[in-house]
Amino acid sequence: MLDERRLAILSEAAKYDVSCSSSGSRRENKKGGIGNACFGGICHSFTQDGRCISLLKILMSNDCYYDCAYCNNRRSNPIPRATAEPEEICELVIDFYKRNYIEGLFLSSAVVKTPDYTMERLFDTVKLLRTKYRFNGYIHLKGIPSADRILIERAGFYVDRISFNIELPSEKSLKLLAPQKDKNAIIAPMKTLAHDKYYADPKSLTRRKDFLPAGQTTQMIIGASPESDAHILKLTEYMYHNYRLKRVYYSNYSPTNFSTSLLPYEQAPQIREHRLYQADWLLRFYGFTAEEITENDGFLSLELDPKCAWAIRHPELFPVEINTASPQMLLRVPGIGVKSAYRIMLARKTAKLDFGDLKRLRVVLKRAVHFITCKGKFIGSGKTSTIKGLLSAAEWNENARQLSVFDNNVYAATSALNGEL
Amino acid sequence: MKTFLIDNHVNGVLSALFISFTENIIPDTVEDRRVYQPKIGSVAIDVVTDLKSLERVKSALVRYAGDDVIALMRVCIKSCSPSALTVAFNYAHLILSERKDVSEMLSLKAVSDFSYTVQKVLHERHIMTGFLRFSESERGVLYAQYSPDNDITDLIAPHFLRRLGNTPFIIHDVKRNVICMSNGTSLKSMVTDLPPTFTPSEKEKVMNDLWKRYYNEINIKERKNLRQQNHFIPRRYRKFAFETWE
Repeated sequence: MLDERRLAILSEAAKYDVSCSSSGSRRENKKGGIGNACFGGICHSFTQDGRCISLLKILMSNDCYYDCAYCNNRRSNPIPRATAEPEEICELVIDFYKRNYIEGLFLSSAVVKTPDYTMERLFDTVKLLRTKYRFNGYIHLKGIPSADRILIERAGFYVDRISFNIELPSEKSLKLLAPQKDKNAIIAPMKTLAHDKYYADPKSLTRRKDFLPAGQTTQMIIGASPESDAHILKLTEYMYHNYRLKRVYYSNYSPTNFSTSLLPYEQAPQIREHRLYQADWLLRFYGFTAEEITENDGFLSLELDPKCAWAIRHPELFPVEINTASPQMLLRVPGIGVKSAYRIMLARKTAKLDFGDLKRLRVVLKRAVHFITCKGKFIGSGKTSTIKGLLSAAEWNENARQLSVFDNNVYAATSALNGEL
Repeated sequence: MKTFLIDNHVNGVLSALFISFTENIIPDTVEDRRVYQPKIGSVAIDVVTDLKSLERVKSALVRYAGDDVIALMRVCIKSCSPSALTVAFNYAHLILSERKDVSEMLSLKAVSDFSYTVQKVLHERHIMTGFLRFSESERGVLYAQYSPDNDITDLIAPHFLRRLGNTPFIIHDVKRNVICMSNGTSLKSMVTDLPPTFTPSEKEKVMNDLWKRYYNEINIKERKNLRQQNHFIPRRYRKFAFETWE
């Protein structure tokens, strides 16, 4: 069995892999087997950083052959190294799964010896888990770029989701910070899987059900290189359209113990990552394009969420009448999400809605009130500057908390109390 | 003010609907007779569950609103809200009055209240499928204690029956003293006042320690966000999620 020390090393090394989603698969349990997948995914716990724990996120080994400047597992970093055997990982997954600690496995690895060797070990593990242990829960496998195409394709029949990390938002940054990695080697398997006959051909539905039911995703580090949000979102949009990705994850760069002029000394504000996720949501579910979302300087507003910022830049489109607006326009109103828009569409079939009805439908009016009318009535603020102030104040209030003298940043807290800030 | 006193069951609501239509009485509230406390000015009408009459109401509801309506009413009644029976009654009454499916008429209070109550119960059911923690006995039986807000044991047990295959398990709602047992093929629920006598296997301690260690290691300390953690896993749910204990 995997001991506590190795588990600690291998899970600590995997914590910057952002994805922990277990959604998108309807895999069912089989006779004599254990586990199934829930299409919407299930969160089993939440860490102190607010992230969900759904899968056992672990590296097979952190003994990496590469020496990427931004990575804690790089070859030149003198950290404790550990490796787990396929059997050990399988046993741990079954033990955790039975106790309902996890929804499945997210298996990744540092590149040990060669990409093919590493991919083979990963493949052996997931195959063992599905066949010997008869595990039918969710498996997310991190693919190793440059590994043999056949290995990657075969893995697709055993796992629910596969992902290849694009690492950095541009080829230039990749060359600079991870010179051993090659953009084409990362993109090639994503392309292959997107156009693979099992995955993409709508006629071969029977085969497709077993092949990567939850599709493929990718992840990139933001804040380690100078690319703008506009660049990142355009790349994201391109990948959604061309590689059939289910999700693009962003990971804010955290400074490592490796000091180089190529990397920033400080972490970018966490809010930037948050804004990129909000923008990503707008691309996938709200019909926005990357060009529409970003500001003129190529970055997202840190003060306002991307939808509010877009609405404020387009006063000519608002306010919209809630009883007659098209579904596409309803989705563009700040504060109205997919669920609220759906409820409004249903409710207005039978009656003209007013603000009281919207409250009853549990539509959050805090933001929306400045951009809508109900039966011709407008109760928001008409001035753009006032709206901007109110919305940013509302957002600030959501994140505000009482200052405490026991804060980590005790000096800032006490200075604020004394009025010195 | 009129109050129907019924059995806390969907059959009770269906019988109340029958009385309401045949005797032309529209109650202000519908309450569980076991917990009813008389209010000043309130007239209580005791409704006896009658299997023959409720079948007529049930078939009419299914005819107008589809097969799901009874199941949804059952979910609504599982709510901890004191007005759950009234909400289910009003919704079904509206279906029978309108003689059609009203689920999309969300601007009506009866429909939006029903939809909200059902959603709340189903939401808790969903999150509890993640927050439940099983321990294993030496004989391989899994046992989990929890105390949900709503009476959802019957709703979550089928999820674990599908998932755990042949493994026998027991889910124990310590708040209501309800247990649901599985022998690996079927489920049985019962109310019990007996204290739990479960003895975990020796391996449990090792697994608990490994899980706690994993939980601590996966956390990114420089991104601490307790507010968000509290939002997603409220403190009342942490009683049995031992990894979150400090």
